Amino acid sequence: MITLSYPIAGGDFDSAGLATRKLKEQLARLGVDASAMRRAMIASYEAEMNVVIHARTGTLWARLDADKLDLEVADEGPGIPDVELAMREGWSTAPERARQMGFGAGLGLPNIRKASDLFQIETRVGRGTRIRSTILFHDGEAGPAEASLASGAFRPALGVDDGRCRGCRRCVFICPTGALRLRDRRPTLLDHLCVGCTACIEECPDGVFSIAADAEPNAGALRNVPQGALLIAPRGFVVGFPGFRPPELILSGLRQIGFSEVRFLEEWEESLRRESRHETAAGKLPRPRIPPLCPPVVSLIESRFPALMPHLVPCLSPSEAACEEFPLRPVFLAAACPGQYSACARSSLTERLTVATPAALANAVLPLLNSRRADGELPAVRVPRANPAGPRGLAASGVRSVLRLLSRAETGALADVSVLELHLCVGGCSASPLLTSNPELNGFRWTVKHSGEPPAAARRNRPYEQREGLRLDPDMTEAIRKLAQIDSMTHSLPGRDCGSCGSPSCAAFAEDVVMRRAAEGDCPFMENAR
Amino acid sequence: MKIAELARAIEARLILPGGKDRPEIARIHGAETMSDLIANAAADTLLITPLANNQLIRVADLMDVPGICLVDGGVPDEALVAQARATGVAVLITRADLQTTCARAIACLSAKKAAGKAARP
Repeated sequence: MITLSYPIAGGDFDSAGLATRKLKEQLARLGVDASAMRRAMIASYEAEMNVVIHARTGTLWARLDADKLDLEVADEGPGIPDVELAMREGWSTAPERARQMGFGAGLGLPNIRKASDLFQIETRVGRGTRIRSTILFHDGEAGPAEASLASGAFRPALGVDDGRCRGCRRCVFICPTGALRLRDRRPTLLDHLCVGCTACIEECPDGVFSIAADAEPNAGALRNVPQGALLIAPRGFVVGFPGFRPPELILSGLRQIGFSEVRFLEEWEESLRRESRHETAAGKLPRPRIPPLCPPVVSLIESRFPALMPHLVPCLSPSEAACEEFPLRPVFLAAACPGQYSACARSSLTERLTVATPAALANAVLPLLNSRRADGELPAVRVPRANPAGPRGLAASGVRSVLRLLSRAETGALADVSVLELHLCVGGCSASPLLTSNPELNGFRWTVKHSGEPPAAARRNRPYEQREGLRLDPDMTEAIRKLAQIDSMTHSLPGRDCGSCGSPSCAAFAEDVVMRRAAEGDCPFMENAR
Repeated sequence: MKIAELARAIEARLILPGGKDRPEIARIHGAETMSDLIANAAADTLLITPLANNQLIRVADLMDVPGICLVDGGVPDEALVAQARATGVAVLITRADLQTTCARAIACLSAKKAAGKAARP
């Protein structure tokens, strides 16, 4: 994998196209085939010209893998008020100068979409636009590569260090989607079920779970924080360091390792709350409206409660919105959970955005704190006043509460609630067990004054998508047969859901046996009955 | 078809021969907008357009187009010619308009194709 980047100057028609020209040289050296090259050039040139014509400044990134090329062009500019209109052929807002040169035919974005196997556009009025285009190298037989793109979006970022496991099975029971099994005294994750929450991380007494190791930035990234870099973190991150260290000292340490600014996730939580509160802004959504505050809650709805998808407010989650807020600055995100990590990591190419675990950031900061005191000059901090839930709003957190409320909402029993705010971590993102904190201390130690208005909420450009579970069998008839088998086996099991077999329930165990993830003999009761 | 041969056939002047290793012209595409040109450009395509500006050469270069033909009697400036020379793109000019030029070129290419087929037993 290799990532290339080229700057683009807005309004400069003389050097327009140079970024794409340079990209072409590199791709040619790397041996990209002619068809992919042709499509890459169309997508890249059109995107570059959009920056030149409409924006102040921008950047072209290209990431090359063995099977695909990802292009991303982000700009600081006016944004696109109506993306649907802009995607229509013949619609253009290009100025006269550009039209005279033969641009502004309203074919640019449609051209990019046609040239791409995967096309995404994110835009915010007054801020800028980000276009992503993926070009697969083996068109025609795009099957496996296409599949890898789709599953890439949901690859769980949960890391499992099974060597530490003592086999207590607490994780098996706490997982809200029943994604964990204990087999041979080792925890096993069913990838297609994991939503990336912190339930198992918090519950496990042995520290088996964390954000996946490949989610860690390479060691150098935190030693060489680039100039002007911005850190986005849940507020709890600067409060919960081990020992007594006031937030001011932590902020000072963060400045010393090179962050020029620290912004808190709560800002974007607040803007999302405000957006969700107004019916007009959020559109005609059924009650209760569910703001996507917590990416794992969104995943949970997309997988276990798809009937509630129309209730989700069509905005980006706070962490995604925060990363999109600064299209051209290097941004670091302290991810509070694996779900936040995967939501943000998939929304951008790696170079601009570094998603780090709070532990990695803490390790970088801690050595500086022992020798120095807070030096008074703090990085810029803005914290809008939080107004949880609002009138007729209901806020809840924690796996059990969230599951209970979603089940009730699914039956229509919560129609009197206008806004349902859910977090899978008890106490919200700032209280995530990954922030090395005592959540109880968050409010107590927080001394920075409230200030500033929250930024505008960021609308989603992609619809929520139901998450397909693993199909029982690619063949429908076979799948039905397996389902019947699971059903009959569930009835023959004791139904105690004791977990001795390592599955969270008898029904889950029956599925495991039919899908050959477990043997019938793993159930001690079945074994005795024989 | 060789670009010089095509130039004679469509009554255009070849003011800059392209790079020697460029392939022959197999098809043409005429358009008045850049997006139309880039979407239809290929390594065997002559682009025919009234857009005499440096971005035309950029597009031709990116898409490995062997040559461009400027219509409506447009005279390319020195910068354009210099850029075309640097990138090996052939430049044709003609007084005829876009439609006429395209019609001539298509007629000439299909005649050539028919001749080619007839020549083969």
